[in-house]
Amino acid sequence: MSDHNVLEPMLDLYLFETTQLVEQLEQNIICSEKSGGYSSSQIDEIFRVMHSIKGSSAMMMFDNIATLAHSIEDVFYYLREAKPANIDCSQLTDLILAGVDFIKNELEKIRNLNNADGDALLLIDAIKNLLDGLKKSNPNTVDGEPAKGASAKKQQYYISQDKSKGLFNKHFFMATIFFEDHCEMENIRAYTIIPGLQEIAEDISYIPENIMEDDSTAEIIQREGFKLFFATERTHNEIHEYLGKTIFLKKLELAQSDESAPSKQILRPRQILLEDAPVIIPQPVEKCAVEKDVEVVAASNPSMINVNVVKLDKLMDLVGELVISEAMVTQNPELKGLVLDNFTKAARQLEKITSELQDMVMSIRMVPLTTTFHKMHRVVRDMCKKLGKEVQLELIGEATEVDKNIIEHISDPLMHLIRNSLDHGLESGEERIAAGKPAVGKITLEAKNAGNDVVILIKDDGRGLNKSKILERARQKGLLLKPETELTDKEVFSFIFAPGFSTNDQVTEFSGRGVGMDIVSRNINSIGGIVLIESTPGKGTTISLKIPLTLAIVDGMTIGVGNARYTIPITSIKESFRPREKDIIVDSDGNEMIMVRGQCYPILRIHRIFAVKTDVASYTDGIIIMVENESKILCLFADELIGEQQVVVKALPPYIKNIRQVEGLAGCTLLGDGSISLILDIGGLMHRCYA
Amino acid sequence: MKKVLIVDDMVFMRFALKGMLTKNGFEVVGEAENGALGVEKYKECSPDIVTMDITMPVMTGLEALQEIIKYDPRARIVMVSAMGQERFVKEAILYGAKYFIVKPFKEEQVLETINKVAAL
Repeated sequence: MSDHNVLEPMLDLYLFETTQLVEQLEQNIICSEKSGGYSSSQIDEIFRVMHSIKGSSAMMMFDNIATLAHSIEDVFYYLREAKPANIDCSQLTDLILAGVDFIKNELEKIRNLNNADGDALLLIDAIKNLLDGLKKSNPNTVDGEPAKGASAKKQQYYISQDKSKGLFNKHFFMATIFFEDHCEMENIRAYTIIPGLQEIAEDISYIPENIMEDDSTAEIIQREGFKLFFATERTHNEIHEYLGKTIFLKKLELAQSDESAPSKQILRPRQILLEDAPVIIPQPVEKCAVEKDVEVVAASNPSMINVNVVKLDKLMDLVGELVISEAMVTQNPELKGLVLDNFTKAARQLEKITSELQDMVMSIRMVPLTTTFHKMHRVVRDMCKKLGKEVQLELIGEATEVDKNIIEHISDPLMHLIRNSLDHGLESGEERIAAGKPAVGKITLEAKNAGNDVVILIKDDGRGLNKSKILERARQKGLLLKPETELTDKEVFSFIFAPGFSTNDQVTEFSGRGVGMDIVSRNINSIGGIVLIESTPGKGTTISLKIPLTLAIVDGMTIGVGNARYTIPITSIKESFRPREKDIIVDSDGNEMIMVRGQCYPILRIHRIFAVKTDVASYTDGIIIMVENESKILCLFADELIGEQQVVVKALPPYIKNIRQVEGLAGCTLLGDGSISLILDIGGLMHRCYA
Repeated sequence: MKKVLIVDDMVFMRFALKGMLTKNGFEVVGEAENGALGVEKYKECSPDIVTMDITMPVMTGLEALQEIIKYDPRARIVMVSAMGQERFVKEAILYGAKYFIVKPFKEEQVLETINKVAAL
């Protein structure tokens, strides 16, 4: 793996394609299990996928993946050929899924530039045992080598040729051909020589004889060479040159003898000749033609191409800049007051096209949630098995599209929420029946568009959150900032997002969700989304994730501090107001705070943090913007609000990151007038403030 | 420059073969991801050599091989097989495939095979 330039894109492609295949496989398996068995088209599909994974993994020298894939391939090959009746579907599925997990895990290691060093031997053994078991319990069916049926048919080829058209000037030759070491399947390689030789020679016979029927002849050829006897009019040199073209030839011995050469004749095997007429070929035992599955056809649509996301990011970036440049040209101050009819027309056209271009680029980056949603089937299946619950997962609106970058961020939170629903939300079968509900629990995962956001709902019909327990816990943790009676349901439920709210001692007993809800909420917040909870005791819980369509564009509030411009993501702003001097409190360390409706919040002066010169120092001249992050609140002090607008987020250039502390800055953007605005990272600012 | 058509359902494999071939003076005139498209592409761009995977959706390599040979009996088709597919390779040779490559393959092996088949 020394040649990095060659391997990088190969590895990339390998990872991409294999991951895709494995995920597709997982869906396939879970579907099959649900429908109570593997259909022949599904078996065929799984066989093919494993075969492909084996091939490319072996090429990339990930032998553990290749061997594992091979063993699974063997099982499905057997299933396909022998069609055994009594398969333990559940056991098979478990094993194959374990295999899928192993491969996924290894791929992840490779992706992180670690060695794919996982040991699949145990798994492979288990799979082999399963296959052996299957074969034993189905002794009557064909075993793994269905070619037998084919070769049992009438011996092919070889009928004596008409001797009358014998050659006038015959030379007899004996050639011994040695193939390169380790080139495998020597017998078949040897066989490929025959059809061509037949055109220039006759009376062809060879040792070993039954090369096409008996694969063990490969070893003999490897050891002793492939011996050919034939008669031809060609000269020694011509024949030498012809046989010299043999692929993977290591050594060629060519001896010429005249008409009668009895000593060699003894060595000659029984004479066999290739027939002139087309040979009778055994029909392939099975046809692999897959029933045309809609999905397969769609996937192999030749008008689709795969594009590297990095390129799309770059494209998005460029279009963002184009939009800004367009504004800089068409709204250039130097054009003010001029009457430019044609220019205005042209500018309008440009504006129209750039905005269409922007929409198009955005839509290219959009990916349906289908894959992410379907992954949840697996989560549900595994959890149900573990917990002994029966749960049905319903997916709605899985075709809803979101930006590629977003997808990566919501998969884990979704999994988390589903697990929580299953573990804590849904009751056991008996409990459900006792409560007058159907025994099978139900989780609904729904996605829908709402303006510039996508809303994902995770709904269960379980027991709902236990308000009093949450309150009790919140009290212990000192999270209650106002009287319990004044808290709305939403506020109570939102306590479970507090970091460390769940601890081990109450995870199992706790009626609601506990495990790592703070992580869920942090992940969703980090992509500019919010999490909302609704719950009715006894009826169930609905968690909604409201996430933006894209990360590349945010709704921002632009604020001014001195000559500088900053943008705050709208989602973090709670309110903004002009403070009264009497609400400001300064503590003994000089820290400034503000009292709002009886609550005290710290104030951060932006001009102070970023060392910007401004004339606005007094609170009554500027404005306070109250922002929230992870349920902490902070007040930012700025000179003025400039306005709300959508901005294209760009990463800070590395040279700025290198020379300055950039905590508190999420990126930058260009405003319509060409000036740069820094995008504030509220989480980072909090950290600076509270640290 | 010899023209090559690559038929394989894995993008990865096509990419690997294409890299090896174009680097060594072959022109990859077409790629197809299943047998049926392979046959179509063969008729469209009449390549000098075809590399044909065996296990593919919609139409397998063996079926595609027969279709192509029916259309052009002199077609030079090299089967790309995995270990354990000996019987398919045999069938393919009987149907008229010129040669075969075994996965995982190395560049030298591919070139040796393709060069020699091209010279036939």
